[in-house]
Amino acid sequence: MSDPIYTEIIIDEAKNAHNVGTIENPDISQHDANPMCGDDITLQMRINNNEISDIKWHGDGCTICKACTSVLTQMVKGQNIEFAKNLKKEEILSELGLQHLIKQSPVRIKCALLSLKALKLGLYSYLAKKIENSSSVDSLKEDASKLY
Amino acid sequence: MKEKGAKLEYIGVDDNGELLLDQLDSYLETGKVKLVAFSQMSNVLGTITNTEEIINKCKKSGVKTLIDGAQSVPHMKVDLEKLDCDFFAFSAHKMLGPTGVGVLWVRKNVLETMDPFHGGGDMIREVHKYETTWNDLPYKFEAGTPSIADVIGFGAAIDYITTIGMDTIRNHEIDLTKYALEKMSQVKGITIYGVKDVLKRGGVISFNFHDVHPHDVATIVDREGISIRSGHHCAQVLMERLEVAATNRASFYIYNTKEDVDKLIKSLEKVAELYKL
Repeated sequence: MSDPIYTEIIIDEAKNAHNVGTIENPDISQHDANPMCGDDITLQMRINNNEISDIKWHGDGCTICKACTSVLTQMVKGQNIEFAKNLKKEEILSELGLQHLIKQSPVRIKCALLSLKALKLGLYSYLAKKIENSSSVDSLKEDASKLY
Repeated sequence: MKEKGAKLEYIGVDDNGELLLDQLDSYLETGKVKLVAFSQMSNVLGTITNTEEIINKCKKSGVKTLIDGAQSVPHMKVDLEKLDCDFFAFSAHKMLGPTGVGVLWVRKNVLETMDPFHGGGDMIREVHKYETTWNDLPYKFEAGTPSIADVIGFGAAIDYITTIGMDTIRNHEIDLTKYALEKMSQVKGITIYGVKDVLKRGGVISFNFHDVHPHDVATIVDREGISIRSGHHCAQVLMERLEVAATNRASFYIYNTKEDVDKLIKSLEKVAELYKL
């Protein structure tokens, strides 16, 4: 039986992660970490006309964290902010067949969703600065805090 | 610490994780040290600290000592009378007892100089409108309703392991650790941390396997039936010194066998297979 987490896809995705690097003078730079396990990443984005025209990430983490971050960056690159704002954890997890982590592994789910949390918090900071009434984007912050 | 204006300094360790006691001498020479706190056995590397030497040095300088015995007490004979330290702490959950209960032993003449840190039933002798006096030791420090069931459970755990015998436990772990160190050091791509001499370490082995993140290693071997700990082991400062983000840690107790060690090594092969190492 093949391993439910460590499939070839996930291990390859982590080993050859996409969008690794830094962006000079990014519009969004969001760092986040899971203190208990040491996953530690920074997501950077460039926004043009409400579109995430570039996204890069760097940091250290386990295979699950790296693979999910890589997939997330590919999913949102070139998309508009609205798409990224509404991205659900199930969408990230299902890309890698990791939906079962939600119920079966409360510990490793944090590794999988760290980058989504950073994305939501980064977008929140960016949008809250842009508009006068920040309460309209408060739901993003709430979303991020409820991920795990 | 900030409130009292106290300054925290560290005694460094060598590459094997053994304390550099020359540094302790330099600190003691300043005459400014109030308390030396250290672990009798490292929870990460298993290193057994030369406790007697440190206490003797501190006593000569009139400095109090606090020992974390959470790892040593369950695994080896500890004689507080002989050690003659000032504070000694250990925990039930590391010695087959219940969670949330432990012991902080304090030398009586030190306790007598201390005020209660917690208010509640049992810790008072007399209460008046504007004046309160404290009860005798140890009640002065045992405010409120204690966790009675847990303390009784802790007592049963202590009885159980002392019946087996602390020397028996220690010898069993020496045997297992020796076997594991020999076998594990033959595994390709493994890095083992800590001193090699089994008499200087307890029954834990911290290691890394190739460049696979410890959380991934732990998850995979878990499914093969082996539970190990992975992460920074609440010792981030030591992780920094070892220049690693985290380690895997296999730990042994009275119920473990050489077959368990073999199984761990076999499960590392599974990691190698998945990662094509």
